[in-house]
This record gives sequence, C-alpha cells and structure tokens, in this order.
Amino acid sequence: MISLELCRRVLGRALATGADYAELFAEHTADHAIHMISSRVDSINDAITSGAAVRVYKGLRSVMATTVDKSEAGLLRCAAQAADALGQGDAPMNIVLRERCFGNVHPAKIVPSSVQNAEKVAILKDGYFAAKEYAPCISQVSGTLKDCDRNILIANSEGLYTQDRQISTRLSLNAIAEKDGQTQTGVFSPGRRMGLEMFETIDPKAVGIRAAKQAVTMVNAGYCPAGVMPVAIENGFGGVIFHEACGHSLEATSVAYGRSQFGDKLGQQIANPKVTAIDDGTIPGAWGSINIDDEGHPSQRNVLIENGILKSFMIDKFNARRMGMAPTGSGRRQSYAFTPTSRMTNTYIAPGTDRNEDIIGSIEYGLYAKEMGGGSVNPVTGEFNFAVDEGYIIRNGVICEPVRGASLVGNGRQILMDIDMVGTDLDMGQGVCGSSSGSVPTNVGQPLIRVASITVGGR
Amino acid sequence: MNFQTFKEAVIARCGALGIADYELYYQAAEATSVGFFQQEINQFSSHAEGGVCLRCIVDGKMGYASTEELSEPEALRLVDTAADNAAALETAEPEFLGEGGQRYEDFTPTLHPLPSTETLITAGLATQKAIYAADPAVIDGSSTQALCEKSITAIYNSRGLDLSYVNHIAGLVAVAVVSDGAEMANAAEIKLGDFAAIDREALAAKAAAQAKAKLGGEVPETGLYPIVFGPEAMADLLQTFSGIFSAEAARKGLSKLAGAEGTAIAADIVTIVDDPFHPDSPCPQPFDAEGSPTRRKFVVEKGILNTLLYDLKNAHLAGKTTTGNAAKGSYKSPVGIRPFTMTIAPGDLPPEEILAKAQGGIYIDSLTGLHAGADSVSGDFSLQSAGYLIQNGKKANHVKNFTVAGNFFDMLKSITAVGSDTQVPKPLGTTAFGAPTVLVEKLSVAGK
Repeated sequence: MISLELCRRVLGRALATGADYAELFAEHTADHAIHMISSRVDSINDAITSGAAVRVYKGLRSVMATTVDKSEAGLLRCAAQAADALGQGDAPMNIVLRERCFGNVHPAKIVPSSVQNAEKVAILKDGYFAAKEYAPCISQVSGTLKDCDRNILIANSEGLYTQDRQISTRLSLNAIAEKDGQTQTGVFSPGRRMGLEMFETIDPKAVGIRAAKQAVTMVNAGYCPAGVMPVAIENGFGGVIFHEACGHSLEATSVAYGRSQFGDKLGQQIANPKVTAIDDGTIPGAWGSINIDDEGHPSQRNVLIENGILKSFMIDKFNARRMGMAPTGSGRRQSYAFTPTSRMTNTYIAPGTDRNEDIIGSIEYGLYAKEMGGGSVNPVTGEFNFAVDEGYIIRNGVICEPVRGASLVGNGRQILMDIDMVGTDLDMGQGVCGSSSGSVPTNVGQPLIRVASITVGGR
Repeated sequence: MNFQTFKEAVIARCGALGIADYELYYQAAEATSVGFFQQEINQFSSHAEGGVCLRCIVDGKMGYASTEELSEPEALRLVDTAADNAAALETAEPEFLGEGGQRYEDFTPTLHPLPSTETLITAGLATQKAIYAADPAVIDGSSTQALCEKSITAIYNSRGLDLSYVNHIAGLVAVAVVSDGAEMANAAEIKLGDFAAIDREALAAKAAAQAKAKLGGEVPETGLYPIVFGPEAMADLLQTFSGIFSAEAARKGLSKLAGAEGTAIAADIVTIVDDPFHPDSPCPQPFDAEGSPTRRKFVVEKGILNTLLYDLKNAHLAGKTTTGNAAKGSYKSPVGIRPFTMTIAPGDLPPEEILAKAQGGIYIDSLTGLHAGADSVSGDFSLQSAGYLIQNGKKANHVKNFTVAGNFFDMLKSITAVGSDTQVPKPLGTTAFGAPTVLVEKLSVAGK
C-alpha cells in the first residue's frame, strides 16, 4: 500500500517537533451490501474507504491527523499537521523499519470481492424466502448480505511495518409477523471472520427460519410482567449481559480516566466465584477476531475475570501509558478516521459446571431469556440495560408461555455477583459494538446462566 | 485529483457506457477536535476526509457505488461497479433523479466563524476549569471536548442539478463526573452554534448539576403511573420513533402509519413540526439529498397526521409531491427519508402545572438504551429511566434503575398535557429533535 521508505519519511516528519512516538495507519476497505425487502433485491451498495492517519504521542498527549490523500505529498502534509499541533520540540529520533508478518489465523477460502452479485443474491434469497414462507402471518422480511475486505498497514517509530487483510461476511434476516394489527419482529444475524465459505457451515435457510420463528412466537405472546425476579439467560447472544454489565467497564477508555466502577478493583473479587470471563481475539474465524489490532499489536487471549477475581483490563497503546500497564492487543478503530481505543473482540463467560435442566429447574417463578437484543452501559455508574427479544415465563422449574417487550436493567457490580449458576454449553453471538473509536465487530458469548435477581422491565 | 476533475472522468465513463441518468453526491469536511483531561490536552485530532457517491439508472434500476479515492482509475471502477450493481436489482418501482432549475427557498444560513485551534484550546481549558469549580463533588475523570468542522455537500446530476452548500459546526462538550464517596455519577452537556457566544460557565455548571442530581436515589415500586416526560426524554423518544413518519417505511410495511394520513394518530393537543431552517438546526439545508427544495411542514397538526415524509420515488408512488425529506446518513448511504429538525410544538401549560396534574406520578428526565429497548415497527418500548417521584405537585425523591414500558402509537393518543416550555432541539448528526414537557396518562414502570 505504502512503501517502507515512504513510511519512514512520514514517521520522521511526524517526529520532527519532539514527539516520543509516531504511527502511520493506512487503510483501503471495500464494503459490499446486498439488501432485499418485499421479496425483491432492493439495493446493492459498494463503498471504498480509503485514507490514512498519523498519530504522535508526547507523554500523555496524543495528536492525530487524517487524510484521504495517500500520495507522498498528502501523507507528509498529514504528518506535518500532527507534528505541528504538538508544538515545538527536540530533534527527531532515528527510525529503522523492519517488515513484520504476524501470519493469518483467519484465511478466507472464498474471498467475497471475487464473487459475482448473482451468487451472493442466491445465498441471500435462500435465507430470505425461508423466512418469508415460514408462516402466513409473516408480513414482511428484510435481509442483508454484507461482506467487508479491509486492508490495513501500520508503521510506527518503534520499527514496526506490517500489513493485514481482514475479511468478514454477515447475513442478517429480519422477519415481521402480524396478527390482529399487532406486529413483532424476529432477527438473526450470524457473521464470521471468513469469506463466503461461512455458508458451508451456516445454512442461510436456517437463519431465515430462526428469525421468522421468533417473530411468530412473539406475535402470539402477551406482554412480559414487570418486577424483580430470577432470570435464566440463554447462550450465544445472551453474552451481551457480560459485554454491557462488565466488559465496557474493563476497557482502558473508562479505566484510565477514573470513569469505571472496576478501575481500582484489580485482584479483588468483583464477580461470583462461578464467573470466569475472557476476551479472546485469536479464535479462528470468529466474528470479533483479529490477527493484529489496529495498532499492530498481535491479538491475544486476555482472562479478564477468573473465578470472580478481576485479573486484567483491555488496554490500547496510548492509555497503557496513562495506566502504566502493557497494551493487551485491544486497540481498535472502525476506520482510519477514528482515533483507536481499547475495545473488545470475542468476549465470553467461560463454561461452568451446572446442567441446563438444573438451572431452569431451580427457578420457581422467573424469566427465561432465550434471545437477547442490544443494550448499553454507563461505565461510570455501572448501570446497564438490554432488550429481551424472545422471553418465556418459568413456573415451578418449567419453561411456559412466551412473553414480549421485556428488558433487563441493573448495575454491573451487583449483577456480576448474582450470576450464581453457569452452564456448560458455550456459544457466541455476533454484534457490532459502538464506542468512541466507531463501530467494530464483536462476539459476545456464554453458556446458559442464572442471574439470581434482576429488574425485568415489562408491563 | 479534485472533485471537478473526478466528476469529468465519471461523466466521460457514463457517456462511454451509454448511461444517461447519473448523479454524484460529494461530501468533504475538515474538522478539528481537542479533548482535555485533568486540565491538559489529552487528545487532539485534525481530520480531512470526504468522498463521493455515484448512483445511476441502468435499465430502470438504481445502482450505487462510492469511494474516498479520487483518481482516474477509481472513477472508471466506480461507474462500472454502480452499473453492475444496478443489473442485479429486482425493484419494480420507477427511479428518479432530481431535475435542475427548481426554485429553492430564499435562505442564507448563518455561518458562524469557526474558532482557531488556539481558541478551541483556550475555551476547552476554561470550560474544564469551570467544571471543577462548579461543585466540590466534581472529581478527576471529568473531561471536555472542543470541536469545529467545516463541510461542503454538493450534488451534480445528468438532469441539470448542480447544487452545493457549506456548513459550519463548532461547539463544546462538558463531561462532569461526581462522587459522594460511595458512588459516582456523570453527565454530559453539549452546546453547538456560535462558538464565541457559548456560555462556558453555564455549560459546565449544568453538566455538574446534572451529574450531581444522579447521585443517590431509590428504585420506585413496580406499577402503573402517570408519567411526565421532561423535554430531553421526550425529544429522545421522538427521535427514536421518528422513522415511523417515513413514507418508505409505511410503503414497506415497517410503519403503522401506512394509510393514516388525514386521520387522528395523537391527542388533539399534539402538533409535530419538521423544519429544515430551524434556527438551532446543526445543519440547515435548502435542498435535500435528491436536490429537492426543503420546506417547513406540520407533520402532525392537532393530532391529525397531516403528511408523511416523502422523497421523489415514494411521492410518485403515492401520487403526491416530495416533502423534500430525502436524506443520506453519510455520503455513501443510499437515499432514505429523514426529518431535519423535528419538534413537538409547545402547548399552553407551564411545566409546574403539568407536575400538579400528575399527582402520584413519575417525572422522567432521562432514558437510556433507546437503540435496543424500542421497536419502531410495533411501537413497543421498555427503557431504562431515571427521574423523580411527583408529590404535592413537585419533583420529590430521586428515582433511578427502573424501566418505563408502553407503546409509542398508543402513547401519542394518551398525551393529556403538553408544556409551554421550549428547549433547544438535541442535535444528532445533521438532524435535531426537540419537545416540551409532556404528560402521559399512564405507563408501566418496573422497579422493585
């Protein structure tokens, strides 16, 4: 993308005003999306994101400049802008760049950009019509097949020069069921850090059927009752509870600035001893995986909580300075236009020892949250919320009628202690996580868990 | 290569491929933002970004492609890709491009002078100092951001459209973090507009006061309550459900307002206005994303749905004229439909009298998780809330960590009072949403 020699000169210019670290990040990303609605291919969109960012650090100050002009003059101008914003300083340091290759843990077999629209449309239609034809009450279906081919280059004043190609694919189906003027939506959106070979293991039809089934179940459901009760949260996207209730509060973005309720709790018991939680960006082919982060640091497996004890934060390069700790391969950015910060990859509660039937059987009256929606958290207070997309009432240890419109709210500190049963069947769900460095693909995951007591929003 | 040269290369390629109908949508921005932490600059960024989106009609279908790389080979690739994308579409409706020579409202937006980097830094540091000074409960962790952006948006098409406008945005974001020793709370306040005129002390004081008000508090009893939504919470609800007014959503079965024009969809005290020229709009626009003239309109007037929001295609299909609400999330997005500055018009009751009417109710001043807890297709919502119990006509005990649940379509009909208070609409990208204090007869609360 950009030669080693040009990178060296750009970094040299960036360091000219006394920065103690400089980085060049360049990107060329092709996004492709095919959208269907009303049983027709409705839109196809191609977008090229192409630009570069120069960052410099001086102590605890970080400066970034971006440009879409990746010519030599454009990059040098960008570097000068970053350097000049830092002010006056000493003579630059000498930089020797060495090309490093970290290998590819996630090779794509069928590179999406090499496949014609017609073939992709066929995959989307498989899923689309499976949803549409699932039941007569399915009034509308929309579906999107997205693929992304992201090429990044990172060079820095510590001598790093490396590139990575990140290919991902995601099928999203959204079904609406209608009954007596009431509508309910079902969604399923599996994604992988792979090419179209993703559909060798994931049947598009099954994706459509799962979305439609959820819509039909929910349109026939009554409203969830409100109150405080025990909740069993299913595996897969259920892991959003950990992502919101704790994950964000363990990111350096919050911790380094004294804005996390767990910031001073390293080595302390912050969760029930049943809880071990891990952020692992190295899982082959998983949606949130990366070979290297957007700062050129190899991805790693970070044990965040072990048997309830807080073991580690997720730390990017800049905040590592403020915290006096090492980066953890967690520096991510949506694109060159965002300043990278600490982010999650594939974050999950590790399997425990409780049997699923024991977890459900233990609840006299409560909620079984089979499918979760999105949520959010305020890391300062730990207050979080998330939506239950498909819920059922549990009575006397038995899963009974479905209920709609539920949400769960609580405080991270409390909820982590209240996770008092953890099952064995770990599964992951795919999400797109938003934060100051933009939207990045992340997996959430867990086995079936029990939360002893939580506020269920309903009516 | 600049946009003009790139445009010529695209025109030439369209000509070579026999593509007669095409449009280029170009957006570029230069932005500076400075973040402050513990009275020092923490992060500084300077952005120069921009891109172009081509859409073209091939065999009656609209193909899209966009890029940030303005070069000759990329111009060719862009046209070829958009045409290839068009070929795979199955849409049955006719496609439209805006016509040149239309008349636009005589409107010159006020472009406030953009602050220099030095001014951004001085103002940011002063604001941060003011946050610390505002209250002894303010702790480290508080931060400030100062930002400004100059952007240009241009549309050029084969039907004679050749339009552009420039927008300036500048502002301050004050984030206060407070602690009472037992717990922390935070609040952010944002103010955009004439940078030199921003009252930094007031902004800092408001952020600190709002953060402090969140400390402590109890969880209310589960039950049905009269609910008063404060202006910010009501504006958030309006924004979350604003998609229901899109004619495209209605046509595709994604809004319950299909076929509801001319009928009552809300209580007769509810009037909703969409105004592209609102004085507090973060981005006043004389034309929409299709180059159609924009105008102020009553979307809901005294409870009656006056009009949905239309673009060219959906207006044609409904036998109407466009309301000038075609919009793009970013230059690369397909054309969709969105309001500009949408507000619920103030009513005649002062907020104090609304509180007096809501005896035994809950005043909600903040809603969280709207992207997850609300479904605009069904109208159902169940949202994390905070506010106050209402006792003796006044805000009493602080309450938090509960949810309010209901259905937006039902709720519009059960609004029993609309406040006379007006607020600066909350900016969200190029749009903004505003509301006065509103009383809803009853909604479900899940607490303890």
